[in-house]
Amino acid sequence: MEQSGTSALLQGAVQDLASGVVSALRGGGHPRVVLPADTGGAAGELALAAVRVLGADAMLPSVLLRTPPDPAEAAVFRKAVEAHPPRPDAALSVRWSHWGMARTLRRIDPSSPAGPPDEPGTGALDEADWQSLTRQLAVLAPLALPGEDCAVSRAAVRRPVDVARGFVRAVRRRDWRQAAGAGRWLTLLPGVPDTLGLVSGLDFVELMGGQDPLVALHVQAARLMRTGAPV
Amino acid sequence: MTAPDGAGDVRGVAEDALAWVDARRAGFALGEDALSADGEVDRSWKPLGELAQVCATVTRRTARSDPLHARARALLDFAWRETEEGELLLRLQRLEPFATYPLEVYASLAAAGFRHPAFEAAAAVVAGTRGWRLTEQDPTRRLGVRCAEERCGIRPRGQAPPAPRGTWLGGLPEPWTFERAAGYALTHVVFHLTDWGRADDALPPDLARYLADWLPPWLDTCLDAGMWDLAAELLAVAATLPRPTDDTVPPDAWRRLGAARDPSGAIREVGREDGDGEVGDPARYFAHHYHSTLLAAFAAVLTTARPAGRPAGPRHGGQGAPA
Repeated sequence: MEQSGTSALLQGAVQDLASGVVSALRGGGHPRVVLPADTGGAAGELALAAVRVLGADAMLPSVLLRTPPDPAEAAVFRKAVEAHPPRPDAALSVRWSHWGMARTLRRIDPSSPAGPPDEPGTGALDEADWQSLTRQLAVLAPLALPGEDCAVSRAAVRRPVDVARGFVRAVRRRDWRQAAGAGRWLTLLPGVPDTLGLVSGLDFVELMGGQDPLVALHVQAARLMRTGAPV
Repeated sequence: MTAPDGAGDVRGVAEDALAWVDARRAGFALGEDALSADGEVDRSWKPLGELAQVCATVTRRTARSDPLHARARALLDFAWRETEEGELLLRLQRLEPFATYPLEVYASLAAAGFRHPAFEAAAAVVAGTRGWRLTEQDPTRRLGVRCAEERCGIRPRGQAPPAPRGTWLGGLPEPWTFERAAGYALTHVVFHLTDWGRADDALPPDLARYLADWLPPWLDTCLDAGMWDLAAELLAVAATLPRPTDDTVPPDAWRRLGAARDPSGAIREVGREDGDGEVGDPARYFAHHYHSTLLAAFAAVLTTARPAGRPAGPRHGGQGAPA
């Protein structure tokens, strides 16, 4: 019971955090999206855990809108990055998520070490069938940022039609999170067939699944990237 | 029943499906009510027409020495005899002169070489009216009727528009809007344009490109959902694409379709077997299985009839259809 209770609390915290990011991306309201760094105890731990679940997207408004981050938010983000580095044997998705957070931290915090952190490698991503490729890319959607290069984004760039097929599959399966994540990647990939109809596809995904803030976040990020948000 | 495993999957599906159809040919026989005003076309003329359409393609796409060819030829002879060598179609046409289905059934038999000059003459008279041409139909059906008219010599060949206006497929819609009804419409547009898989390279390049791009997720999700008849139709569509773009079939698609066969070799239209098979209600069992089973044979024959050189497996890491 305690486990599921904690899990529900974390899910709630992630949803709240994602809602705040969506609101900031839409230009509405206060851009503060994380708890102050001095929040202690269980609430502080929960906030850090939520940031780690959301990954680099916790600071997405600063990155996409080029607004300086709130120092308190940046401090929480730094703590989330530095306090729990993944073990070397952690899943690739966990290591890439951490890598993405470290990259964002360096970008928003001039006091961070220069240069990108070492990349974890892409495992079997290049050999994955299009279904698996899309599933993994959707999980790593926080890495989908304009002008940012990494091994994962290069793997995506090589296979625009496959990712587009994965988007279609995700919509057909009503997997709105995967569709939104794939749609976000597709905004960055040259060579996507025009017949996909990505703009209306993103609208549809938001219509059907946008009540989930994690879906809304990727859709909104995709829209900003399409319209050429300065980065 | 042939075990679905590797390259033999496709051939095994074709053999099992056609053997099932042959063993149950009585189910395709026209009943006493075939010419009655309240007869159910979907239970009489429609299955017979589909049988003829599929078998006409099987005979065209297999060698004479192939047992599948002989079986399909025998089934075509059976179907023609059921129409009393076309006489019943002529009588049907007199009963319902402006109905299109007699012409469509006749065209499927004419594709296999059976002709009844008096039927064609009668159909030509009716088809010459403005009323016939103005019959309100959905665009896919209209295309099918035009093709049937061509097949029967009522209309010169090659007049069907290459990208049929008004059809779902012809408009190249967003592929994520694919639903079951759109799927049936698009497969039949392709069947009409390719003369049910009997014509080579009949698809316009933009349609072929569009289908090569988007068949993979449609097939994958139809197989996941147990929509066996639509999956078989999509596999047939994939087999009509030009070779350079044809690594569009998920590598496990035929294994998954093959696994849907029941012990008799039949494939249900949708979902899993839910009753006591053929024993409890043979008519219902036939109604729920004949279409998928026929279409599985159709798709398998078209797939195996492809020229050599087809990619042996999935192009992991590459793309099925580079843009």
